[in-house]
Amino acid sequence: MSVRPAEFGSHGLNAGALRADARRESLGLLGLCSPGLALVGIIIVLPIGWLFWLSLFDESGQLSGANYARFVEQASYIRTFITTFEVAFLVTGLCGLIGYPLAYMLSQLPRRAASICLIFVVLPFWTSVLVRTYAWLVILQRKGLVNTWLIDLGLISQPLPLAHNFAGVIIGMTHIMLPFLVLPLYASMKTIDADYLRAAMNLGAPPTATFWQVFFPLSLPGLAAGVVIVFILCLGFFVTPALMGGGKVIMWAMRMEQTTSLYSNWGAGSALGVVLLAVTLGLLGLFRWLLGARAANVWGAR
Amino acid sequence: MMTRKSRFASALAVTGLIGCIAPAALAAETITVASWGGSYQEAQSKAFFKPTADALGITIKEDTTNGLDDVRLQVTGNAVKWDLVELGADECARGTKEGLFEKLDYGLIDKSGIDPNLVHDDWIGITYYSVILIYNTDVFGKNGPKTWADFWNVEKFPGRRALGGAFATETLTVAAIADGVPLDKVYPLDIDRALKSVDKIRSHVDAWWTSGAQAMQLVKDGEVDMASIWNGRASTLKDQGGPVSYSYDQGVLTADCMVIPKGAKNKDAAMKALAMFLKPDIQANLPLYIANGPVNEKAFDTGKIPAGKIAGINSAPENVKKQVLLDPAFWGDHLVEAQEKFDNLIQQ
Amino acid sequence: MSIARSAPPINIRGIAKRFGSVPVLSDLDLDVASGEFLTLLGPSGSGKTTLLMILAGFVRANAGSIDIGGEEVITKPPHKRNIGMVFQNYALFPHMNVFHNIAFPLKQRRTSAAETAERVERVLDLVQLQGLADRRVDQLSGGQRQRVALARAIVFEPRIVLMDEPLSALDKGLREHMQIELRSLHRRLGMTTVYVTHDQREAITMSDRIAVMNKGRIEQLDQPETLYARPRTKFVAGFIGESNFIPVECRDGSVWYAGKKVHTASPSPPSGRHLLVVRPERVRLAVDAGLVADARPGANANILDATVRDIVYQGDSFICYANLADGQQIALRDYCRSDVLARLPVAGQPVRLRVDAEDAILVADET
Repeated sequence: MSVRPAEFGSHGLNAGALRADARRESLGLLGLCSPGLALVGIIIVLPIGWLFWLSLFDESGQLSGANYARFVEQASYIRTFITTFEVAFLVTGLCGLIGYPLAYMLSQLPRRAASICLIFVVLPFWTSVLVRTYAWLVILQRKGLVNTWLIDLGLISQPLPLAHNFAGVIIGMTHIMLPFLVLPLYASMKTIDADYLRAAMNLGAPPTATFWQVFFPLSLPGLAAGVVIVFILCLGFFVTPALMGGGKVIMWAMRMEQTTSLYSNWGAGSALGVVLLAVTLGLLGLFRWLLGARAANVWGAR
Repeated sequence: MMTRKSRFASALAVTGLIGCIAPAALAAETITVASWGGSYQEAQSKAFFKPTADALGITIKEDTTNGLDDVRLQVTGNAVKWDLVELGADECARGTKEGLFEKLDYGLIDKSGIDPNLVHDDWIGITYYSVILIYNTDVFGKNGPKTWADFWNVEKFPGRRALGGAFATETLTVAAIADGVPLDKVYPLDIDRALKSVDKIRSHVDAWWTSGAQAMQLVKDGEVDMASIWNGRASTLKDQGGPVSYSYDQGVLTADCMVIPKGAKNKDAAMKALAMFLKPDIQANLPLYIANGPVNEKAFDTGKIPAGKIAGINSAPENVKKQVLLDPAFWGDHLVEAQEKFDNLIQQ
Repeated sequence: MSIARSAPPINIRGIAKRFGSVPVLSDLDLDVASGEFLTLLGPSGSGKTTLLMILAGFVRANAGSIDIGGEEVITKPPHKRNIGMVFQNYALFPHMNVFHNIAFPLKQRRTSAAETAERVERVLDLVQLQGLADRRVDQLSGGQRQRVALARAIVFEPRIVLMDEPLSALDKGLREHMQIELRSLHRRLGMTTVYVTHDQREAITMSDRIAVMNKGRIEQLDQPETLYARPRTKFVAGFIGESNFIPVECRDGSVWYAGKKVHTASPSPPSGRHLLVVRPERVRLAVDAGLVADARPGANANILDATVRDIVYQGDSFICYANLADGQQIALRDYCRSDVLARLPVAGQPVRLRVDAEDAILVADET
């Protein structure tokens, strides 16, 4: 008697029972996931959907694109939008420039020294953002520590404008964002096998070539993770620009707060949220694509 | 008006909730009053809430608010937990339009002695605060900027400046005065003219403050040499020995108001309490604790306020003459539009 | 591709290395002949990998000299030593494909693109990976990765190749196959090779000479045959192959066990306690019913009375565990030929065992 494969599967010994068992198992897994799924649905998907829905109506409750039209019609929105991305790019870049050598140093330290240094990196996490921002204000303002010292040392005659402006926002935010870049980067650097570096040197690569051709590309996933985290946190940042910007550095999140709380225009606020979300997702996609292209370039054909 | 609209300060729970202050009376009714927190609410609590609770035999619980937004959320969300809420008069005027408040019972509330501008169907003034010009005497000595025109005059008074950024109604009023509008002609405000005036000064403004605390900090740390500031903050700075000078000349006298949110659970008790808050005798308590003035001018006739203190109160008749009264009815119509235009201007 | 023309000897003198206060290598000398395949064999912690790391330049020694073809390299950085190395985990760069991995050393040497392509092609042929140049590293099997690592280590024609347990990650069949391949590749290219392993069978299979390392020293350096047949220390005897250790007494230039004189291949030892090393396959079974081995004692043969404790059948061979008269355990191994199987003793049966003098090696009792 010849048995076709399909029949073999469905009519084998206990086949039905085994299939039912497999189904029970996946249902069980689904059951375990469902609280998480429900939570995500209720606190993320639903509000975002609602946000989008709200943004489609103007103040009189009419379906309209007015909430989106204002972004192109009003200079301040465009200014805010540009400021937001300027800040995000600059802070991310500075975090990268400061954070990469820091993470590299940490990853090369002996374990014990590294964990002590890591505590100093993480320490700011345990202080509120508000407190840290105020601390920067005290340090950077006109009669703050930095300016007082520089003037006392005779290096400058007029105080540098470091607080209540763009520079203050950048300094404050870079400080706050730095751990978000350093930690994933450090974690990824720690996983780079020392043998890769030894192999590179053994094959004739001087230390700089070893770093750029082997260590750096291998640390890119960690750097990318850190950069994405920092960039996205920057886009939605509120406290530091609000305090350090002197009301002159208006970021997207502050604009949203104003729109909902001062103008009580939820539609316009939602539109702001939707645009930020869309642009963020777009950038993430672009980033992924760029990284992917780069990876393909490295891994691909000669 | 210590922490009025100190938006993110409250939002970040810098001010905690203040618990029940009245001893629990047996079988007494309980109402919840939300105000602006901080030392302002502490003063209010001693001046208004406790005497009222004692007199009516009710319990008054306290909460803090961030303003109209909170009320709107509670009312539209059908979850009203407050029975009385203090707001800025401009917010009250706006809230009326949105139908967020209960009608007030003027059979119960005696409105005599209160500026008719601040008496409305569903909201009534409760206290006064002023926006005034403060300057650093270390920088200018006694010859600092005394008028808003001086403040706008960057050649004659070089130095760093701060203005309220989140409070367009106040800053636009100030800007109109600076542009030469006489005090009695400020309202109805020519918004476009005021905006143009803001446009002249905006590149010379080093900080747009968003909370009373920030305004105070900017002046205290010498970060700015002159600023617009709320009088409560200014008097605190002076009391702390800061090198500052200010007066009520060309001040913007502004009222806070109280409302009963639509759907409040203890509306009747809240009405009684509000009537009590507004009695001259109770109103007269406020200056004993803080420089903000009572809204009921009869309070000055009670003899409760020491003669020496009267000159320092922003709503004392002598001081009212020097100031312009911020017109809440006008802002009820133009608040949102003006704020948005103002923000668009300063954020360019 | 040929390296033999220039393969230099390596002369290592007085290498010492401590990690903190722990000595890892102490005053170690080693000479590797030109074109030789030399294996460092030892248990983990014996210092063999450290020595390899010092040779490659990854670890700085505390003292000593490494002379490669007349040139002192001890202070040279790794990238200037021109030594190929195959790592235990291969250390293939995961962000490069096979081609770029192999071309890496050529790129560092500024080799032209055309020559790079040609040499990569050639070395891929050599390790039988034709057509895999575009593969990503994670698409390769373990054996293929091993070959890529090897190709990368030899593509720039280094004078010396170091290998750090390169086959330990492969399964048994593949490992044995690669052993033979590596060996023949070495014969063809003739580079001086230092190979590290803890697998004694692998060492014996592949090496020209083996240096057995223990506690930072070289215990014995010999050809595999000598090392197996004439271990000089108990450690070497125990580490290479299986061994019976029988405690014996030396007096007046003779060796005594259980009151009987023992014939050994070793020259007259000093008096005192020693160990007699006998490989299990050199112990022969003498059964009463008919001799598998001659049971008569003689000048070249020792006959021991024993009782069989257990017989373990292993397919191609069996192991017989027996107790000597004084309770000393001894193991013997033989192939399962039918004539032997027919006369296998059972547990509890008394047997006589024969050990020829030339199979009895005397070593110092170190414990």
